[in-house]
Amino acid sequence: MIRFVLATLAASLVLAPMGLTETDDQVTARSDAIDLAGAFQNDGFKIRDGNFLGQISKDHSQIVAVNLYSGNAYWFTASTGQKANKLKVSIFDDSGKPVSYMPYQSGPRAAAGFSPDASGLYYIKVRLEEGQPATFCLIYSYK
Amino acid sequence: MALLRKWLGLSVIALSAFSALADQPTAENSMIADAALSAAELKNAASLDSLTVPTPGEFFKAIEKGGKPNWTSQYRPPVSIKSTDRAQIALNLGTLIADGYIAVEAHDGQQVKNVGKDVLALAKKLSVSQSVISRSASITQFAEADAWDQLNEELEATQNEVKKALEENRDTDLITLVSVGGWIRGTEVVTGLVLQNYNAEDAKLLRQPALVSFLKTKLTNLPSKIQKDPLVQNVSRDLDSIEKMVSFSADHVPSEGEVKDLNLAAAKLTKEIGAPAE
Repeated sequence: MIRFVLATLAASLVLAPMGLTETDDQVTARSDAIDLAGAFQNDGFKIRDGNFLGQISKDHSQIVAVNLYSGNAYWFTASTGQKANKLKVSIFDDSGKPVSYMPYQSGPRAAAGFSPDASGLYYIKVRLEEGQPATFCLIYSYK
Repeated sequence: MALLRKWLGLSVIALSAFSALADQPTAENSMIADAALSAAELKNAASLDSLTVPTPGEFFKAIEKGGKPNWTSQYRPPVSIKSTDRAQIALNLGTLIADGYIAVEAHDGQQVKNVGKDVLALAKKLSVSQSVISRSASITQFAEADAWDQLNEELEATQNEVKKALEENRDTDLITLVSVGGWIRGTEVVTGLVLQNYNAEDAKLLRQPALVSFLKTKLTNLPSKIQKDPLVQNVSRDLDSIEKMVSFSADHVPSEGEVKDLNLAAAKLTKEIGAPAE
C-alpha cells in the first residue's frame, strides 16, 4: 500500500511539471468553452481538437498566434467558466492592427467570428474585463 | 459586395447559434475595432502546435470553396514504412495523416482504412500505438458507415493523440516532425489542386509565411542529434526556399508558375520523406 502511495506521488510529481495533469479550473474552463463552441456545430463548424489553457487577469491578457485561410470562416471561443468574470475575445492581423469581426460576450464566455480576406497570420487576444484572475480556455472552430 | 455577403453569413450563423443557447443573449450584429497590439504584445504572443499550426483538413476545407476538387488525383503510391529512423518515421506519420484527410475528402472508405493501417504501423514503431488503436477502430467504423464529418474529427483527434502520447513518452521533439510532415504533404496536395484549375482565390491560400517560420524555428530548436539526421537537414534546407515561396504580400496573387515551383518543392520533400531507408 505504501509502495502504491509512493508510486502515485512520484508519478504526479513527474507528470505535473509536464502539464499532463489538469486542474479543476482547467477542466471547467475547457468544458464551458466547448459548450459555447458547440452552438456553431449545427451550422457546419468543426471544433479543432486543440486548445489553449492559460492564466488571465485584468492586467495580463493572453495573445495566441494562429494561421488562417481566406475563404474559411472561423469562430474563436473562450471561457473561464467562472460566473463573476467578464471575458472578451478580439482579432488582429499580422502587424497587430485590429480587424473587423463578429463579437459575442456573455460573462465568462466570449467569442469572435471572422472570415479572413487574406490567408496568413492573425492574433487572437483574450482579455479579462471584470473579475478575479482565472484560468481560461481558448478553442476555435472553422468551416 | 462579397464582403457584405460574408458578414451577413456570419451574422446569421451567430444569431442562430447563440439563440440555440437558452441562457445566452444573441450576438451583437456589428463589427467592432480595438486598439492595435503593442510591439511587446506581438513579441510575447503564444504559438503552440495545437492551435498555431492548422490541420491538413483545415487547409483542404479552404480549397473546397471554389468547387469540389479531384481529390483522388492527389493519391500517391504507398510509402515505405520499413524505416527505423525515428525522425523519418515521425515525418512520414505526418504525411500519412494528411493522406487520411485526402481520403476522407474523396469519400473513399477503403483508402481511409489503408492509410489507417499504415498510420498504426508507424505509430507502433514510435511506441504510441496504444493511443491510435482505439481511434483506428472507430476510423474503420466511420469509414464503413460513410460518416465523413466524424472521420475528419477522428483524424484530428488521432493526430493529437499521437502527439500527446509522444509528449508522455518524452518524445516531444518528434511532435514537431509530425506537424512538419503533415504541412508539407498538405502543401503538395493543395498546390496540385490549384494547378488543376488555376484561379486567383485558390492561389492566395498559399500565403503562409509565419507558419513556415514557426515550423522552421521548431526545427532549429530540435536536439542536435535529430538536427544531424540527413533527412531533417534536407527538410530544414528546403523549408528555407519554401518559406520564400509562401512569403508574399496579402495583395499578391501567386502566378501559375509560382504555384508550380511550390508544388515541385513540396512534392520533392514528400518523396524524400517517404523514400525507403538506405
